[in-house]
Amino acid sequence: MDTNLEAYVRAALRLQGYVFDEARIADVVRHFAHFDATARAFTETALPHTLEPATVFRP
Amino acid sequence: MAVLAATEARIAARDPLLNCFTALTLERARREAQAVDAQRAAGIALPPLAGVPYAVKNLFDIDGLTTLAGGKVNAGEPAASADAELIVRMRAAGAVLVGALNMDEHAYGFSTENTHFGATRNPHDRARISGGSSGGSAAAVAAGLVPITLGSDTNGSIRVPASLCGIFGLKPTFGRLPRTGSFPFVHSLDHLGPFAASVADLAAAYDALQGPDARDHACAQRPREAVGTVLQLPTGVRIAVLGGWFHDWAGPAARAAVACAAQALGASTMVELHGAASARSAAFIITGAEGGALHRLRLTTRYDEYEPLSRDRLVAGSLIPAAWLAQAQRIRQQVYLEAMQLFSDWDVLIAPATPVAAPLIGSAEIDINGQQLPMRPNLGLLTQPISCLGLPVCAVPVRPQTAGALPLGVQLIAAPWREDLCLAAARALEAAGVAVVIAPPAFA
Repeated sequence: MDTNLEAYVRAALRLQGYVFDEARIADVVRHFAHFDATARAFTETALPHTLEPATVFRP
Repeated sequence: MAVLAATEARIAARDPLLNCFTALTLERARREAQAVDAQRAAGIALPPLAGVPYAVKNLFDIDGLTTLAGGKVNAGEPAASADAELIVRMRAAGAVLVGALNMDEHAYGFSTENTHFGATRNPHDRARISGGSSGGSAAAVAAGLVPITLGSDTNGSIRVPASLCGIFGLKPTFGRLPRTGSFPFVHSLDHLGPFAASVADLAAAYDALQGPDARDHACAQRPREAVGTVLQLPTGVRIAVLGGWFHDWAGPAARAAVACAAQALGASTMVELHGAASARSAAFIITGAEGGALHRLRLTTRYDEYEPLSRDRLVAGSLIPAAWLAQAQRIRQQVYLEAMQLFSDWDVLIAPATPVAAPLIGSAEIDINGQQLPMRPNLGLLTQPISCLGLPVCAVPVRPQTAGALPLGVQLIAAPWREDLCLAAARALEAAGVAVVIAPPAFA
């Protein structure tokens, strides 16, 4: 297991207010690792600065 | 009333074998059916779906019922005080609501193996999943309990169960149908849409559901564009097959289903959406982040009441860094622009809906061309890139020889707001006998 990733998850869980035992933290780490692996498909992609996000906001 | 009585009898006989319904609304249904009978007796012109029984995924508000959205954690919430907008429209069209249908909790799943309300079983093989998250909606139509149901599709939750249960499903353009009065999952990806056993029924339901609603910010304020009953492909329509990601992650039966549909529609060119993998990844991250954020507060205090099959994934999603989410929404826009280039050359694109036919209930993994992948997050890997772009899709049931006894679906995809083309292509396949709803032997 990536120790940086596990450290991030532990810190983020505390920050977000979760109080979990070790077994539960391990499960969350496993799922987060899957998100991390999936996100790598695009997080290093350089995009044009002018490319806007696709979210809908209509004030 | 006679139609309703027959529907009640079918539900009583068949639903205990399948677990499609989580609630029946029979008193209400009788009132609605009596109103239709009274109109007919008075010689008043009947609306288009007069007396047609239907049911909805239990994330739609039904006046007087608590909206579960598949969650035991919601069971103590107050009852809805009004119907969801799409139920209001179905009622105006004369349809008769008979109940609420099972789903994956909060729509976070592709299997409808709901720990708290039980799995919905596939009518074609009750040892197998119905698909999800609108599994109850698909199985109810496939088993002939009702001719029309409504569901939601964030990442494939209409198209995956339609594929695995062998029926038609329509995921309209993002923003086409208002979500007012439905329990959200991922605001920037949620769509609602109908299921049916024929293209005519699907189109009739879709027309009844259309129209703007300013209460849903994502709902396009554009007029109703009825597809009607003719549903004919225009002369010279350009149809191609999506390759690349959609070929690589399709098993042999799914590829055969696409080949059948392509041959019948005269599609001989394979094209590629190069950003499909990125769009799928972006959808996965957006879903985790938005879905996780929506539930974070309750997860910190009521974790044990959440679905064991998805709660840790939901927690992990709530930890996704903002930079990933922002990048995902920009990638989404980039791939959308690439797709629009494709639609300058093509009108309809064909792709498989699911990589494989329905897995057994309890499966942890699926095998796609020799690769073992976790089943629950990956059944939608062919639908996710398309819903991420908000494109309209009709899932149609194609059963080539190689698929054995189990159905598989094909996606018919068009440019935004061209549901008419998706439905016309579906109708062409239905007329050619390629897209066929076959009643499961146990429910024929």
